[in-house]
Amino acid sequence: MAYDPLLARIDQLSGAFNAGQIDRRQFLKGLVGLGLSLPAISVIVAACSTAATPSPAALASATAVPATASAAAASLAAMSPTAMATADLTALIAAAKAEGDIYQTGIPPEWVNYQAIFDLWKQDYGIPIDGTATEGEYSSGQELDSIKNTGKPDVGDVGIAFAVQAKQQGLSAPYKNSHWDDIPDNAKDADGYWCCNYWGAQAFAVNTDAVKIPINDWKDLLDPSLKNAVGIDGDPTKANDSFFAVWSAAIANGGGVDNIQPGIDFMNKLQQSGNLTAARASDANIISGEVKIAIKWDYLGLAVRDKAAGAPNITVTIPSSGSLASPYADIIAAKAPHPNAAKLWQELIYSDAAQLLFLGGYAHPIRYNVLNAAGLIPAGLAAKLPSADLYKNVTLVTDITKITAAQAVLGTGWKIVINS
Amino acid sequence: MSATTPASFAGTPAAAKRRGGRAAITLLPFAVLISLFLVAPTLSLIWGSFHDNKTGVFTFENYSYLQHPLDLVPFKNSLELSLASTVVGGLVGLLIAQAIVSSRRPIIQEIATTFSSVAANFAGVPLAFAFIATLGANGLLTRQLLNAGVDLYGGGFKLYSVLGLTIVYAYWEIPLMVLVMLPPLQAMKPAWREAAEILGASRWQYLRSVAIPILMTPFISSLLLLYANAFGAYATAYGLTDGFVALVPIQISNLINGDISFDPGQADALAIGLAVIMVVCIGGRAILERRSARWLAR
Repeated sequence: MAYDPLLARIDQLSGAFNAGQIDRRQFLKGLVGLGLSLPAISVIVAACSTAATPSPAALASATAVPATASAAAASLAAMSPTAMATADLTALIAAAKAEGDIYQTGIPPEWVNYQAIFDLWKQDYGIPIDGTATEGEYSSGQELDSIKNTGKPDVGDVGIAFAVQAKQQGLSAPYKNSHWDDIPDNAKDADGYWCCNYWGAQAFAVNTDAVKIPINDWKDLLDPSLKNAVGIDGDPTKANDSFFAVWSAAIANGGGVDNIQPGIDFMNKLQQSGNLTAARASDANIISGEVKIAIKWDYLGLAVRDKAAGAPNITVTIPSSGSLASPYADIIAAKAPHPNAAKLWQELIYSDAAQLLFLGGYAHPIRYNVLNAAGLIPAGLAAKLPSADLYKNVTLVTDITKITAAQAVLGTGWKIVINS
Repeated sequence: MSATTPASFAGTPAAAKRRGGRAAITLLPFAVLISLFLVAPTLSLIWGSFHDNKTGVFTFENYSYLQHPLDLVPFKNSLELSLASTVVGGLVGLLIAQAIVSSRRPIIQEIATTFSSVAANFAGVPLAFAFIATLGANGLLTRQLLNAGVDLYGGGFKLYSVLGLTIVYAYWEIPLMVLVMLPPLQAMKPAWREAAEILGASRWQYLRSVAIPILMTPFISSLLLLYANAFGAYATAYGLTDGFVALVPIQISNLINGDISFDPGQADALAIGLAVIMVVCIGGRAILERRSARWLAR
């Protein structure tokens, strides 16, 4: 193969990434900086791992197409059987560029790696992103208020209950992205009014310096050596995180999404055994060793693992009999001033590249199982996460009537746990 | 809230009336404050506790917690915790206050008073963290004791329990007791003791017949203050136990801002239960204060 400066630079970057000299984000930024299109980047990233450098063939095929918008569309279409027709996407990109702006609400750059996704967007389409500074930190409720009252936002990232509410109140517009068929039925609105983009699952963050027995499943938490060791993230009648911890415990004990009671009973057993501590599974309490096994969202557990950096050693695992996952969803505002840019944003965030960026921020992208089956998850990234096999037992909770029902049962049931 | 005119204040009846009127005007801002932040909320609590918060219909349903053993656990925990921390804080605080007074060194008195004022106000989440770091399952003291062969948690102790909370509450109850008992102890006149001794009283007789009767009322009223203080405390307990130890203030908070157990009507009813206990404590203290004021006025 003839010497190609672009290939040489990619080689150098992937070498540095694999050798651990640069982190994933710097690697991606470097690739973006080379003017590569997003699908090309995702191929390179997928090919990269701590074990192997990308093969020249993979690089060549990834970079053979010049990084123009239409080429991006072409390779996007080539990568997924369900991708929209090239002509349609080209037209969408042109229309979005003509609108010249996108206004986002509730999409903060530091959350689930959104900054890297913003970079991709700007690199590929060059359309300015507005609203982040003012509305980036909005809660889901505030996002809906802004859509309703200011009419400014084009897109928003909301909790699942609010996505459903937005549709009921006529605040969102329907759109089905190119990867629609990849997305599980319960994670999207049948009419396209919302679509889940990523999720977190309940996991065990185990301080392996203090806990010497293997913790793989819920029943392991009852071991007599674990006195005052197990903590949840707050009062489950108030905090969503610990509410899902209790609910997840139901799965291994004969309950599940339809029945939270066995989870409450399990927590009661844990409390009676003296293993459940009242200390909150906060970062501070996990790092100090006050809470030795934290039941909380996987992305929070992975973040505290990285924060602790070996002091203490923390391993994050998904209970083998399963746990529950709670997704976030993406909506397009019904009165979006830039409807095409909003649609193009959907195309971007459900693309392989952006979905892998979510994973890099430890949020599991909604197309995780598809990406995993296609072998597109870089080994280096996979090694930082609990195994993909464990995630097969994770159940996505999207039915808000079931959430309300479980909360009602918990309201009375939790009193028995703490008061008896 | 009416301004009373002390007898010594009266000149001619007309002058008294005029002065009374002026006093009432100066009291106006206070009266407004009290009605906005004490009287109005209390009335709204009483009203809310007897009405269904959804339909607005008159009901006793909000007080149904009085019949459910599980719902009375927060009251039991709160009563136990307040009683225990009052006894500990009251006795230890009294001894320290007496030691300060007997030292007769102004510098010690000043340092002790300053420290007590600071410690009595150190509460909430920072105090909770301080205790987790000290006496938590993996706390500094816990680990040092373990090294010395004393296994606190193995022996059943838990910081996140009524006992643990009692220790934490004592942290501010003791200095509070010191602060409120110092003035009456300092007001005990040496002349009383000398007079008793001249009349041939032994030390014990002096204590029994003079000191204890005079100090009893401020002592009991201080205990009532400590008790009410412990009963109403919220932030420290919540920061420490995250709702795992059910206490009345935490239960009220769950009912008004919990996503799951939202029931403002029942919260009002619980708050009335709490208010009754507080009124008994503080009212009792006010009555006793008035009795001892006669003796201890300087």
